[in-house]
Amino acid sequence: MAQMLVKINVNGVEREVLVDPDDRLLDVLREDFGFKSVKEACGTGDCGLCTVLMDGKPVLSCLIPAFQAKNHKILTLEGLNNDPLMKKIQDQFREHQAAQCGFCTPAMEIMGWHLLNRKKEPSKQEIKEAISGTLCRCTGYYDIVDAIYDAGREQ
Amino acid sequence: MEQPLLNRSEMIILQPSSLKESLKVLNENPDAEIMANASDLWPRIRNGEVRPKKILDISGLTNELSYVKKDGNVIKIGALVTVSQLEGESFVKEKRFSAFVDLISKFGSLQIRNVATVGGNVCAASSSEDFIPLFLALNAKVKLSSVDGERYMSVEKFLAGKRKLNRRPNEILTEISFEDPGPGYGSAFEKVGRRNMLIINLVNLAVVGKIAKGKIEDIRIAANRVKGKIPERAKTTEEFLKGKELNEETLNGAKKVFGEELILTDDMRASATYRKALLITILERLIKKIGGVQ
Repeated sequence: MAQMLVKINVNGVEREVLVDPDDRLLDVLREDFGFKSVKEACGTGDCGLCTVLMDGKPVLSCLIPAFQAKNHKILTLEGLNNDPLMKKIQDQFREHQAAQCGFCTPAMEIMGWHLLNRKKEPSKQEIKEAISGTLCRCTGYYDIVDAIYDAGREQ
Repeated sequence: MEQPLLNRSEMIILQPSSLKESLKVLNENPDAEIMANASDLWPRIRNGEVRPKKILDISGLTNELSYVKKDGNVIKIGALVTVSQLEGESFVKEKRFSAFVDLISKFGSLQIRNVATVGGNVCAASSSEDFIPLFLALNAKVKLSSVDGERYMSVEKFLAGKRKLNRRPNEILTEISFEDPGPGYGSAFEKVGRRNMLIINLVNLAVVGKIAKGKIEDIRIAANRVKGKIPERAKTTEEFLKGKELNEETLNGAKKVFGEELILTDDMRASATYRKALLITILERLIKKIGGVQ
């Protein structure tokens, strides 16, 4: 089948892109638009590293067909570059050395940002639940949980 | 190695903008694979397990199929209701539906719950689908819509086998409904996998029942495996329990009957012996939970 023209709003900008029927939202974000904060690790919906916000909700961009993203609003970490809350989260990630290899960091920060937007001062248990679908193989999670916890208290 | 990506980019994507139009398109393209939010189907297409020539994408029909409503005594859930959406519904917060809370808290991850639909979970029709045992225990029905009209069928009858549905090629599952069993009833759900989150279950079990003044007035039990490889009711165990006093003797008897009713086989995830031990333990725990005893 021919390629399809899909309209997507990414990080506040309306974009149009030609997609193949088997393209994933992940492919479009990384390859067509160059948003490399969106990582691919498992590609099957297990690891959570390709998490983006779709209409404000965290979703896995590897599980979303590109043709289904039409007319939706997508937010990646790049879209939060000047966001004050994200700056606090990133400062705390630095403070706690919560990024080791850094591959899960964008997804962790997105999940933290989403949680802190809904709840200003979440408990550590709530933070653990919020990031439970996002895997990290380096840190052991404690530093990530502490970073999000402190970013919440700093607001 | 097999070449799984063959022709994948040749798929024809059909995206009608209304249910009515979708039913018409499906009637003309009965070979199309129906896709909701795709969290189950998409990876299976990507890895070559499913190779549809055509996809009927109904994910855009949220205006028509994302409702949860109570119609008289019947709770109706639109097929496109996501697990996250269901979590926020008021009926889920009532004590007799606490099985939904048990289930949702262990369903995938937040990212998955935000897209996975209740209708998709039922249509995936594999033993890893957590909603199926609960709907079986609630005597739920599916609504099947087509250009010819609508018809209702029990979830039990709808499941024809692993990944097989009793669905005519021109039908779309549009709603799942069940009667509110009413006050006095309770429900509970538990699943066990190798870790708490993000895991395909080894076993799951749902119980809906009415236990009043220590007597089991009504009970319905369903697990992801009883005799075959798809979720089923454990009807022999139900019959054994109905009308009995809830005490140690009854529970021991039920565990024995349930153990005999279960005909399981080993597979790559767990042995039959382990699954059986888990199911028997969970059954006792859930009956006690509904009966309000430790």
